[in-house]
Amino acid sequence: MNRILCSLMLLVFSTLTIVAQTRTITGRVLDGDFNNEPLIGAAIRMEFSDKNHPAAGTVSDIDGNFSISVSDKVKGFYVTFVGYATQYVKVGDKSNYNVILRADSKVMDEVVVTGYQNIERRKLTASVSTVGISEEKVGTIKNIDQALAGQVAGLSTMSSSGAPGAPVKIRIRGTASMNGTQDPLWVLDGIPLEGTDVPAMEELKDIDNIYQTSIAGINPADIENITVLKDAAATAIYGARAANGVIVITTKKGKVGKPQINLSAKLTVNPRLSLDRLNLLNSDQKVGLELDLLRTDYSYRENKGGVAEILNSLGETAAYQQGGWDVLSPEAKRQINDLRGINTDWNDALFRTVLNQEYYLSLSGGTEKVNYYTSVGWYDEQGNVRGVENNRFNMTLKTDYRINKYLKLGASVYANQRKTDTYLTDYNSFTNPIYYSRIANPYQLIYDNDGNYVYDKNVEGRAETDLDFNIMEERANTSNQRIDRSLMAIFDGQLRLHEYFKISTQFGLQYDGYKLERYAAENSYAMRYEKYDKRYNGVTFLPEGGMHKVNQGHTTQWTWKTLAEYKQTYRKHHDFEVMLGAELRKVDAETFYTLAYGYDPRTLTIQPVIFPTQDLAESNPLSSETFTENAYASFFATTSYTFKDRFTLGGSIRFDGSDVFGVAKEYRFLPLYSVSGLWRMKEEYWLKGVKQINDLSLRLSYGLQGNIDKNTSPYLVGKFDKIQILPDYIEDVIESETAPNPDLRWEKTQNINAGFDIAVLDRAIALTVDYYYRKSTDLIGMRMLPLETGFSSTTINWASMKNQGFEVGLATRNVYTPNFSWTTNINIGYNVNTVLQETVAENSTYPSREGYPVGAIFAYETAGLDEQGYPLYKTKDGRAVSAQEFFKLDKNGASQLTAAEQRELYTYMGSADPLISGGFINNFEYKNWTLNVNFTFNFGGKVRVQPSYSPLYFDRGLNTNEDILNRWTPTNTDTYLPTLMVADGVHNSEINFYENYGSFSMLDTWVKKCNYMRCQSIRLGYRFEGDWLTKLGVRSASVSLEGRNLFVIAGDYTNYLDPETMGNPYATPLPKSVIFSLNVNF
Amino acid sequence: MKLQYIAIALVALLLTSCNDFLDIRPTGKVIAQTGEEYRALLTYVYDHIPEDRGLTTLRSDEMAADASTLTGYDYDSYFDIWNWTDYNRNPTSLYFGWRRYYHTCYIANYVIEHQSEITDATDAEIKQLVGESYMLRAYMHFLLVNLYAPAYTNCEPETTRGIPLQLKADVNAILRCSSVAKVYKQILDDIETAEDYMNVEKWEKGYSYRFSKNTVSALRARVALYMGNWKLAFDEAENVLDLYPDLQDLSSSTTVKPISYESVESIMALEQVITTNISALGYVNPELLSMYRTGDQRKSTYFKAKTIKQWVLRKEKDNYDKERCTFRAGEFYLIAAEAANELGETADALKYIKALMQKRYKPNDYTTYSAALDGLDQDALRVEIAAERQREMAYQGHRWFDLRRTTQPEIIKVYTLADKTEETYTLEQADERYTLRFPQEAVEANPELEIWNN
Repeated sequence: MNRILCSLMLLVFSTLTIVAQTRTITGRVLDGDFNNEPLIGAAIRMEFSDKNHPAAGTVSDIDGNFSISVSDKVKGFYVTFVGYATQYVKVGDKSNYNVILRADSKVMDEVVVTGYQNIERRKLTASVSTVGISEEKVGTIKNIDQALAGQVAGLSTMSSSGAPGAPVKIRIRGTASMNGTQDPLWVLDGIPLEGTDVPAMEELKDIDNIYQTSIAGINPADIENITVLKDAAATAIYGARAANGVIVITTKKGKVGKPQINLSAKLTVNPRLSLDRLNLLNSDQKVGLELDLLRTDYSYRENKGGVAEILNSLGETAAYQQGGWDVLSPEAKRQINDLRGINTDWNDALFRTVLNQEYYLSLSGGTEKVNYYTSVGWYDEQGNVRGVENNRFNMTLKTDYRINKYLKLGASVYANQRKTDTYLTDYNSFTNPIYYSRIANPYQLIYDNDGNYVYDKNVEGRAETDLDFNIMEERANTSNQRIDRSLMAIFDGQLRLHEYFKISTQFGLQYDGYKLERYAAENSYAMRYEKYDKRYNGVTFLPEGGMHKVNQGHTTQWTWKTLAEYKQTYRKHHDFEVMLGAELRKVDAETFYTLAYGYDPRTLTIQPVIFPTQDLAESNPLSSETFTENAYASFFATTSYTFKDRFTLGGSIRFDGSDVFGVAKEYRFLPLYSVSGLWRMKEEYWLKGVKQINDLSLRLSYGLQGNIDKNTSPYLVGKFDKIQILPDYIEDVIESETAPNPDLRWEKTQNINAGFDIAVLDRAIALTVDYYYRKSTDLIGMRMLPLETGFSSTTINWASMKNQGFEVGLATRNVYTPNFSWTTNINIGYNVNTVLQETVAENSTYPSREGYPVGAIFAYETAGLDEQGYPLYKTKDGRAVSAQEFFKLDKNGASQLTAAEQRELYTYMGSADPLISGGFINNFEYKNWTLNVNFTFNFGGKVRVQPSYSPLYFDRGLNTNEDILNRWTPTNTDTYLPTLMVADGVHNSEINFYENYGSFSMLDTWVKKCNYMRCQSIRLGYRFEGDWLTKLGVRSASVSLEGRNLFVIAGDYTNYLDPETMGNPYATPLPKSVIFSLNVNF
Repeated sequence: MKLQYIAIALVALLLTSCNDFLDIRPTGKVIAQTGEEYRALLTYVYDHIPEDRGLTTLRSDEMAADASTLTGYDYDSYFDIWNWTDYNRNPTSLYFGWRRYYHTCYIANYVIEHQSEITDATDAEIKQLVGESYMLRAYMHFLLVNLYAPAYTNCEPETTRGIPLQLKADVNAILRCSSVAKVYKQILDDIETAEDYMNVEKWEKGYSYRFSKNTVSALRARVALYMGNWKLAFDEAENVLDLYPDLQDLSSSTTVKPISYESVESIMALEQVITTNISALGYVNPELLSMYRTGDQRKSTYFKAKTIKQWVLRKEKDNYDKERCTFRAGEFYLIAAEAANELGETADALKYIKALMQKRYKPNDYTTYSAALDGLDQDALRVEIAAERQREMAYQGHRWFDLRRTTQPEIIKVYTLADKTEETYTLEQADERYTLRFPQEAVEANPELEIWNN
């Protein structure tokens, strides 16, 4: 829009040009950042040698050409274009000039889109960062949440899983809340999105949880740029939902000019995962381990494993335990040696190399009255895990109309459908293929010689296996499909009543629907489990056949906001801006669930379930339904005053109201506000003349943000239900399983931000530094309750904490010649989080984090092993003592220390959140070639991993990593890995301790450093040039080859696939990928 | 500028209409206010009383098990309960209930504390709700102290660790254990308070799972029995029997089991006693089965043969939902007989035990067996009453508690593996495992729970 305005204005001026002694200057404006395409509508403004001439100017036409008659006193002209660096051209004898403009990231941000307002950067008091979304900038990405990794200082990302469509966790300036959502608010073209919260890590453990956020439906190719709002000055206007920062997405729109067709195709190769890093035992090692263990007193699950199976079937177990290998019969020896020879390639059986495809087509263009943008996209992804697929279809339609000089209208529709296919993997932890690949025995066969499934007798770990499991059968006979359909429509209108005053309104409608369909055929572990679970008198009451579970959900939200803006300049130097607005929002969500048995997928028929008792019928509902609705009303205002472009003062306030059940009405509205200031020192007379410095400004802001937990009430809130206790008497009941808390208060965060921006040497070096201090008080958190209260947990105001840190964004233009350029972007976020006060429950044995980061990891410091291979502990005075002494254990393994004393036993190990995170980005251009290299890094974090094995419950029927071979044994005493524990009379209380209180995982042995630098992307691009393009009707064409996640430089992560997912053995690790991409523009 | 005013007017309109806009009552959610809603709170906890009394059958000597009955997942969940493994348990083993009891207490306390705020209910209805709440609280504490603390009759109640008493609805409280004596005193106090409040003498059949005024003596008689307070037990048992003298007559064939809520002797039908999932974990201990003499109608009423050797609980689908029993007259005949015998009132003891036997044996056999009781001394009669009690209350969640409060004998269980090898487990006389350990999750949530310095 700005471009049109600009050209309109200049057209008007150009007609007024007084023609004296004239000459004609012609030329062409080209886009140096976009294949030297003509730039349409670039403004050309003449500079005169004397001041008596009115300005003359013109704009470039549809082919980028311009022609202007000017006075001969013209000594040069400026060429400007929004988003590009202005160029000054000296006028000599020549009359034809080719001008190549280049995008300037600094200038690009001249107008910052906050979602509510478009703020001129020169008046921007807040801390915001904008990332232009292009392949050159962020590489080839599947989802927009991946785009931000390493791009913005102070924004850290964590991939939950490498599974197709899995969401990325994003944190802006550390963690501010514990209980409430920690995810930022996403805003699409002015409308906040619903359904963007990423579920907790625990819920993302398996590929079965094919959850997607609504972000996943947006095609990155449709996005122009993303603005990240970080401090209170920027986010206060969004109210309570913005406590974790705001991410504003601006989509592309049509540009004035003839229609442009953009076509791109991407092919991605994801090579198969390699499990080599896991150091799993091979058949020979595993058989050796089983043989060794059978000769010890360690008896946990001693009938499990291939060796025990052979010996038991031959009746030689006792003989072997007595006499060892030598006394075995030749048959036993032969069978055991055969076992050593089988090495099932689980890697190959479960994982694959895949080729993924993505296509995108857009049509855009416009005139002064209307502009349009239409795109379709198709994306198809095969998971590295066999049997997992994901695809997405997008369509975007955007049109803006300029009805007359007062009224502008716009309408946009974004629609997408996503489909994920996988199989049922959640019936037990081992049915997850990632996890199964780690625990399946290397000698486990998949099929026998006749091609029948061989069931894994060990994996269930149970005393007796009666539910057969074979992962191939599971993959073949079950399915799990999720289809998401989303539609978003935005209508906006702007009425400019007066030069100073305008009213704008925007209405957004978001609809998200999903259908999750899970099917298990008769012959599957899932179905056998289901039947086992639904028994009466030991016999299942389910009918023959399969199972069909369907979950459906629909979320609809509408947001309607209206703003009135008043803007005026008094006496040249005083700029005032005031904006008032109101916003209404309503969210409805409903879910349906149905469950059918005896399902036949060919005929879609089901069989009725005859429940033997009322009880069983009640506890196994075949369908259910939920409905929730929430309403929000908000009022807000912002104001700013700017003096002589030097000083700007800003303020904003917002009242957020929502429906809160069981809370007094006066708590409905919470005021949130911010005040902020900007000093643009560059505009001061004493700096104006300093040519080396292009920009220097200081920013300062303070704001208050808040949040309340809507799920906790001071009263006992219950849910209605109906039950029957005695036959034929159905009664109403109120289920009250949520603990009330009358003391709950608002959670508040105070936010201080101070920053400066400096650009020097013709902007060759641009630096932005921000310091922030966020103090959060009355944080709402979940606390475990003693069960004697009748509840297991409740929500309380448990803590206050502060986050403070620095963010540094440095952009340098290292080399800049016509043929070659090299630019570097470094952004670093340094965040120190400190818990200032924490209400540790009197009953907690885990230490308070007061004075430590919120992600603090505490562990018991060990001091090697004792004579029998049991862990020794380091006391505060440096002695090495046994667990018995350390914990003052009684004979039952219970500590005689009070909870407070037990808390004292821990040592602080570090924080789970990285201290420093950021990105390092280099771009090289040589003639038509470009090379981009992006790294992201995280330093200073720790992670608690799962112990390699449990000393009491190591299950010999499962595979594990090589740590088990290095455990303490009488012949292997030089190790830090404890022995497998057997009651020996001496250590009984310790054994009970490790068994009962799971403390083994709390040893410092299982805390690892988590420092890594990931090569996010290496991309080589080539832009075609030549007449042959034009002959084909092609305006431009380019190809690129990109490698994503090719390698990670990290500290020790032996036995793990990736440092980022060390703590989670169920997650699909991030895949490596190689992408070939083709872009053609007609 | 006219439009400016319109805009201002529009904003003003939004402001006024927004309180209505925000008044949303969440579907299905409620804060109890009316009498009916408070009743619904109590009905929910009535429906969620743990079925632990049934689970004690597995731990007592009533149930045998082998590899054919205790399979797969059941083995992993229940084997440790059956063979009294309280340490080094299988990680997947189940525990007896804990939080659920206290949740019931919480709701009971909530009703007690909010009685003055209940609307749309008569004074009598409110008093009844409060009275039932006291009864629920007493019964929950009674079950807990008998699962998790030493038997009153086999310890020093004043100095022995009992269980935490929850007497206030307070989610922030951290409770400590009270002594066994204190717990019992509180139980008796609560029953007494409940007696003052309750005004429904007897609930109609479909609501007979609720406490009523008539159940006060029943609970007090059982508590007194467990305390060895024979006088109180006897008096209260007689009070119960004044109101509920009828017994289900098994001497002529009948399909109604005494534990059915439809039986004539049903007093209160709250607990399911034993669920099929638990009864299917094993089979009836042959020793128990051999105690049923010829003509004892209970053997075939309670049990049926699955194979020649293995008998199981008889539980037909049609009756499943009907078999609920917390108190029934039969129990009070036994309490009266046992208490009378302990008090030396042999005649009373014989009167009550024979009255029960008459309805349980075929007439001829009854004559023989009842005659044999005449002339027995106190000790011999005690044995006979105990045996009758074992037969009468079999598989109804009483045996474990009876073992605890009486002799705590040695019990030996043999588990036969699939390959016919046998494993033997012994619970020694007065073994500490006659008292359950607190569930691990309870100790984890409150680490000082087990600490007792009295």
